[in-house]
Amino acid sequence: MSLELENLSILKQGSTIFDPVNLVIKPGEIATIMGPSGCGKSTLLSAVSGSLDNVFTLKGSIRLYGQDMISLPMEKRNIGILFQDDLLFPHMDIAGNLAFAIKEKTSRIQKNIIIDNALKTAGLKGFEQRDPSSLSGGQKARISLLRSLLAKPSALLLDEPFSKLDQTLKSKIRHFVFSQIKKMNIPALLVTHDPNDCPENGVILNLNKEKG
Amino acid sequence: MQIPGQEKSFIFPVFVMGLFCVTILAGLVGTILPSLNFLPVIGHTKVSLSVWRDFFSYPGIQASFFVTIFSGITASFGVVSFAFFFISVSYGNTLWKFFEKILSPVLSIPHAAFAVGFGFLIAPSGWLIRMVSPSLTGFTTPPDWMILNDPAGISLTIALMIKEFPFLIMVTMGALGQLDIKETLLVGRALGYTKEQIWLKILIPRLYPHLRLSIFAVIAYSLCVVDIAILLGPSAPPSLAVLILKWFNDPDVGFKLLAAAGALFLFFIVLLSILCVYLIEGSAGFFLRPFIINGKRSSFLAWFKPVIFFMGMCIIHFTFISSVILVIWSLTWQWRFPDFLPATWTLNFWAKGMVASFDPVMTTVFTGVAAALLGLLLTIGCLEHDVNSRKNKTKNHTRYLQYFLYLPLLVPQITFMAGIQLLLVIMKMDGYWITLMLSHLLFVLPYMFIALSATYLAFDGRVTDQAILLGRSYTRVLFRIKLPMLLKPILFSFAIGFSVSVAQYIPTMLVGAGRFSTITTEVVNIASGSDRRIMAVYALIQQCLPMAMYAMAIILPKILYYNRKGMQV
Repeated sequence: MSLELENLSILKQGSTIFDPVNLVIKPGEIATIMGPSGCGKSTLLSAVSGSLDNVFTLKGSIRLYGQDMISLPMEKRNIGILFQDDLLFPHMDIAGNLAFAIKEKTSRIQKNIIIDNALKTAGLKGFEQRDPSSLSGGQKARISLLRSLLAKPSALLLDEPFSKLDQTLKSKIRHFVFSQIKKMNIPALLVTHDPNDCPENGVILNLNKEKG
Repeated sequence: MQIPGQEKSFIFPVFVMGLFCVTILAGLVGTILPSLNFLPVIGHTKVSLSVWRDFFSYPGIQASFFVTIFSGITASFGVVSFAFFFISVSYGNTLWKFFEKILSPVLSIPHAAFAVGFGFLIAPSGWLIRMVSPSLTGFTTPPDWMILNDPAGISLTIALMIKEFPFLIMVTMGALGQLDIKETLLVGRALGYTKEQIWLKILIPRLYPHLRLSIFAVIAYSLCVVDIAILLGPSAPPSLAVLILKWFNDPDVGFKLLAAAGALFLFFIVLLSILCVYLIEGSAGFFLRPFIINGKRSSFLAWFKPVIFFMGMCIIHFTFISSVILVIWSLTWQWRFPDFLPATWTLNFWAKGMVASFDPVMTTVFTGVAAALLGLLLTIGCLEHDVNSRKNKTKNHTRYLQYFLYLPLLVPQITFMAGIQLLLVIMKMDGYWITLMLSHLLFVLPYMFIALSATYLAFDGRVTDQAILLGRSYTRVLFRIKLPMLLKPILFSFAIGFSVSVAQYIPTMLVGAGRFSTITTEVVNIASGSDRRIMAVYALIQQCLPMAMYAMAIILPKILYYNRKGMQV
């Protein structure tokens, strides 16, 4: 009863690209959508985030805490997204990247405290002034997640966020991301083609299309 | 999903297209009417062809016509074919890489400043002859040769070629990214063809369509150039464009009619030349087919490789030495022929020149900065509209812009600027700074747009998506994230716009209505018969203004983002 996809299907030139999706994700839960590349996983995510390309049409409904999302523009949906690239803003320092996500009315001092706390939870204390490009892949991934969470999203989408990390880092970052989502108590939707990415006890949905 | 703030961006491309069409059409009307003897402000209201009769029977008009055709066509044909040969033999080698590095500073040298320096080199008393005198030539006094302002316009033609070559190379470098050069060379060489043959037979024909409009612009420019033609071209009779300007500024207002007819005639010449090239290119595929498929693997071009290298080096050196000789002359106190260097030096002329040129320099800077800022606003607006409508699959007005973008570069400046000025006079709106600045904008904008568009359109849209998903508005993301990330190319585009504005001569002369002098008009005005030392100072000041702007474009991002490695690439 928080992020609900009901009979959701996406059409391109009149034909659906996958079978209708029905999914209910509770706060703190992470649902996983699996499927080979090209099956429409990322398209489904962009439908939820609001960045769907106009060549597609949408059927069904997307509701977040009961509110219809489809009629809302991207920046009003309050849904965060994490891509496989960290997409940190290269011209700002780490503090600037994080501060960009914090709601505008927060005072400067409060912002600093929030940023300091966030960095501590990620084990990156004192990184405020650092240049994003001086960070390692794992550090960047953590900052990127922190940034998404500091915007206080009501839901989080994860678009293969671990696929560019090496094996040893993967499980560490995965653990960090999942624990942060639990802590924030928001519904999350993960898209991946790696079965190892799926959280334990989570809902797993295989995206496919019935032949014929 | 359309994001609020994006839906109104169509006004930018629509405004630019409107501005280009209205001014050029108005300019043409403003020349056509007076050429038909219709200019009520000076009492001519009876439409007739008398102006044209006067024009064609003007003493020396044939010579003007021939010198225009000769210098314009020779220069365009020469520089375009040389550029093709040069690319074919030197693509990717050290000379080419060197060219890539020095291209921006070379391009930023204003035509007038280059022409002054070039004149100091090739004149009978110039540096080249001094270098070999009296040791080789035996000259102790300058030879009585007509090199500068030669009646055939040869020095003008050579100067045009040297100045246009880097422009063509720049456009080529931009276009090469769209061809799969590496793969083509690989396939071709596997079939046993030499690099030069692959270029001539496969790559140049594919490159040509990308360069077509730039080549047309080169033709139009060469036929209609005024500032270089005044400095280096023949004077009695001068080329058509110079003659038209002379008529236009004649105290006897009756000459304005003749100027309008001449400007229109020049427009026909340009149209006809472009049409000829268009027809030749259309049939070239048919005539060149035997050459392309004759199966010959090696090329005569290999024999000429050293010659082409040498000529390429000459072009670089001439540009470079033209600046050096300006510096030397600007510091000269006494310099007797045939000494290689001045006997005594001084800073007097710098002191004098800096004071005397202060007002024109201020006008130049204000006009250039204003035009480039406005150009930046419009360019970014158009490109942002392009990005948004591609993403939202809405109507993309910027796509139509490409058909209009080259218009101000193809229609001869003097033709529509003369017309606009006549219209402004009729409406009693001539001589305002704002019209002067807008007239510069017409020429600044195309270059700025061409310079910025590739980088701007290649910007990773996910970065802006991510920023918007963090809950920020579209405009905030644009100004806080996207534009700061694009600071370097934006500043470069600004510097290009500024340097184009600095170099403008005709718009300032015509639309400025004699009320505004910029450093460029000063350089050309003092050139006739003035002191070489003061000329050198003025030319150097003119050259320094765009250089300063390029320096800023390089240094500012380094300072602002000194600690951001991700911004240094």
